[in-house]
Amino acid sequence: MTVAPVFAVVGHPNKGKSSVVATLSQNDAIAIALEPGTTRHSQAYPLRVDGEVLYTLVDTPGFQRPRQVLEWLEAHSLSASDRAETVAAFVHQHRDDPRFHDECELLTPLTEGAGVIYVVDGSVPYSAENESEMTILRWTGQPSLALINSIGPDDYSEAWHSALGQFFQVVRKFNAVSAPFNQHLSLLKAFGQLEPNWEGVLDKAVLHLSAQRAQRKEQAARLIATALEDMMGWQEQRTLTAGQLSGTSRDTLAADLRQRWYRHQRQREQSLRLGIEQLYQHHRIQRQEAELTWHSEHDLFSDSSRQTWGVSKAYLATAGFGAGALGGVGIDAVTLGTSLGTGALVGGLLGAAGSYFYGDRLALPVLRIGALRNGLQTARFGPVQDSQFGYVVLGRAVDHWWHVSHRNHAGQDLLDLEPTDRHWLEDLEPEYRHEIQRALTRCRKQRTLSSDHRHRLSVAVEAALDTYGQWRQSRG
Amino acid sequence: MSEHPLTLLLEFDDQVRRDQHQAPAFLHRRDRKFALEADASDTGPRQWLTHLHRLSGRPPGQKDKRLARWHRITFGFISAGALLGILAMLGLLFYDGSGRINMTVFLAFVLLQLGLACATTVQAFIGWRPWGWLVDRYTRRSGEIASVLTRLHPQLLARAAHGGGVLFALTGLATLLLLVVVQDLAFGWSTTLDTGAQTYHHWVQTLARPWQALWPAAVPDASLVESTRFFRAGTPQPIDAARWGDWWPFVAMTWISYVLIPRLLLVGLAQIHLKLRARRLLKLHPGLTALRYRMETPILETGSGEDATHQVAELETQGTLQPYPDSPVIIRWAGAGDPVLPDDFAATAERHLLSAGGSATLGDDRRTIQQARLVLANTPEPSAILLTRAWEPPTAELEDFLTLARDQWPEGTLISLVPLATDSHCRPSQTQFAQWLRFAERQADPRLQVSIHELPAIANRAVEGQQ
Repeated sequence: MTVAPVFAVVGHPNKGKSSVVATLSQNDAIAIALEPGTTRHSQAYPLRVDGEVLYTLVDTPGFQRPRQVLEWLEAHSLSASDRAETVAAFVHQHRDDPRFHDECELLTPLTEGAGVIYVVDGSVPYSAENESEMTILRWTGQPSLALINSIGPDDYSEAWHSALGQFFQVVRKFNAVSAPFNQHLSLLKAFGQLEPNWEGVLDKAVLHLSAQRAQRKEQAARLIATALEDMMGWQEQRTLTAGQLSGTSRDTLAADLRQRWYRHQRQREQSLRLGIEQLYQHHRIQRQEAELTWHSEHDLFSDSSRQTWGVSKAYLATAGFGAGALGGVGIDAVTLGTSLGTGALVGGLLGAAGSYFYGDRLALPVLRIGALRNGLQTARFGPVQDSQFGYVVLGRAVDHWWHVSHRNHAGQDLLDLEPTDRHWLEDLEPEYRHEIQRALTRCRKQRTLSSDHRHRLSVAVEAALDTYGQWRQSRG
Repeated sequence: MSEHPLTLLLEFDDQVRRDQHQAPAFLHRRDRKFALEADASDTGPRQWLTHLHRLSGRPPGQKDKRLARWHRITFGFISAGALLGILAMLGLLFYDGSGRINMTVFLAFVLLQLGLACATTVQAFIGWRPWGWLVDRYTRRSGEIASVLTRLHPQLLARAAHGGGVLFALTGLATLLLLVVVQDLAFGWSTTLDTGAQTYHHWVQTLARPWQALWPAAVPDASLVESTRFFRAGTPQPIDAARWGDWWPFVAMTWISYVLIPRLLLVGLAQIHLKLRARRLLKLHPGLTALRYRMETPILETGSGEDATHQVAELETQGTLQPYPDSPVIIRWAGAGDPVLPDDFAATAERHLLSAGGSATLGDDRRTIQQARLVLANTPEPSAILLTRAWEPPTAELEDFLTLARDQWPEGTLISLVPLATDSHCRPSQTQFAQWLRFAERQADPRLQVSIHELPAIANRAVEGQQ
């Protein structure tokens, strides 16, 4: 059985070692701060599949006294053949020496057979002072790879590439904050190239990670579909005695229920946000959420949200045509096809016309007060009678999903919503448009979706996620 | 009859609904763990549900309220069927001695029953729910409308209807036999159609074909048919009254063969159809696909669950930047000032420019300290400037260098750390200064300060304009 490879992520302090580990291990709890000494102990982050470890990343402290270490090593080595042994002896001898705490922490995994992932910052000029660190790493005799992680805006990666190439088997550029997912996989494959025994297990890891990503997208679609169903069908209720009702004006009651309805919808949207973020192992965005500009400025019910995420009248008309046509097919079925498809055509035209004429009006829920029963009356507000509301929820959810799914765990920047000039849903296949429209209609009529309906809505939302991804990609 | 496939389907559907509010990661972990611990053949929905129920301590054999409702509906059909069977047979065999019981009416009623039974079955098979609105109103309150059971309504209702039909046939048969015993029934046949006794006999023989071999006495012969024909008006024909009752075996067998047996067969078929349909719905259930996917897909833990033990550094600083003095010693630490050294720090006759750190050896560092010591020893107010790269974090090597220098240099030597930006025309950022201020703070050395290299005024303005 192949022993799972271990990779020690090492380097000068504050060059993004923890960022690389955070991104590759999808762990946003790893403290990343612009201060040397943030990482004081080695920390292992294993990738497990059904409990079996495929590989382990070890985040280590940075070199603090590399020249002293190198001086010691050179003083205790006779030939190149004893270098790895001398490094192990150094660790052994200085394990309890606080001056070399960081060096011992970072060299220990290397003396135990870990591969070297050396991280440098490609946005600052190359410095010869790194050479003593690189020399020590070479002395360990372990398979090694250098990563040029650009933290700042400048680019000195060419100089770094030339220098690193003299010390390391493989040199790769990898921006821990912005590298897309396929670069993560490509990097893991590169780890596999360091040692023939590691290739198989890292290929396996890549396959599992790819599958996990696909699975997360499907789960995200399901979460969004469930939220859509909840929000479109939500009704706020309040039961009052006849006395209470007579003491409250209809306007006051409507305003109260409206506020509660709005609050619930906002809370439900936020819970969807958290669900998506947790699905992608982002647990820290919530802490910053109050500061997120688009969360505060682009409220669910704001005009800008409606303008950005609402669909056009023409879109609603075509989606309505589909939904109406589906109803019309029922007429054809009843008449055993003797209507020769007229039912579908008529149904489609009615649906389209309805959607076109009411497409740009916001049909807010209205207050309805039920009949007096046992001395009690129930006032109801909702559900929303406007499909546009569903498209606003869907658009915002899909956009949020895209940002979260493309966000690396080393990223600490704020989410920002860019206004769009054209609605991406227009690129969605008609069958999925119809499915979404049909589900929205069912929900606003408070007709519960069956498991089958839910599944079809999830599939349509997943198609919408793909469409949005392609649309974003085409925008560059 | 066992309702296991139906119960299984409902329990599975309910579990899938409950799972919708669970975190996907939890569901995956739960189901994958079950799949890994179970045998490959024991990972079906039944075993999965048993496993979940066992873990949640749910007692087995709890009745489903929705099925109990359908049991009540079936019971209602059966009760109504039993009552109607008695009433229908009493009506069909009503005999007050003034006339005869018309076999033609009886046969028409039997064929109607057969037709209704077949129509019920056909309706169940094509899934048509003409009475769906009625059932929906009844089931809407219970939330059943949203469950998968709605899709089984045609089959459930067919089963209930056939159950009622069976009881209808049984009580009808019992009533017939009772009336035969307690009454002297007079059967005859009559029709407006121009039908002769021979033709009628032929029809009767055709109907009696199924039991012809079993009970020949229950097949009316030609003479019986001939002798029991009656007309509504006209001259009464000489009829052998003793033969009026000879029709009853035929009547009983007709009822058994064309009402009771078809209903028994169709209720069995409805039960089988219900089971098959439930199995098929379970097989096609979207939740089952998702469950299998979760069972088959390994759980991937990327290390995101590992607790990070890092100590988050204190990023606040009370330190402030101080002006640097005109020092006779300038030391470039780790190549600071490369490639362009600001003019202010260039070597002059009064100012010594030295190097340490970076690619220099520790011996070189010690020599630099010694050289500086010689210069500072002859200075009334000794001070040294240490140029550093602002973007590089201060490490323990610098700390060691300062400790050694403090030890070697004259007491009270003012040491100024001057971080330089990558571009000599720019000021380092506040973040970069902050790390040097915090470094100076940590040293707790009152004669150690951080200073800023003041850029020429024009360049400074340009930089500020860019910012």
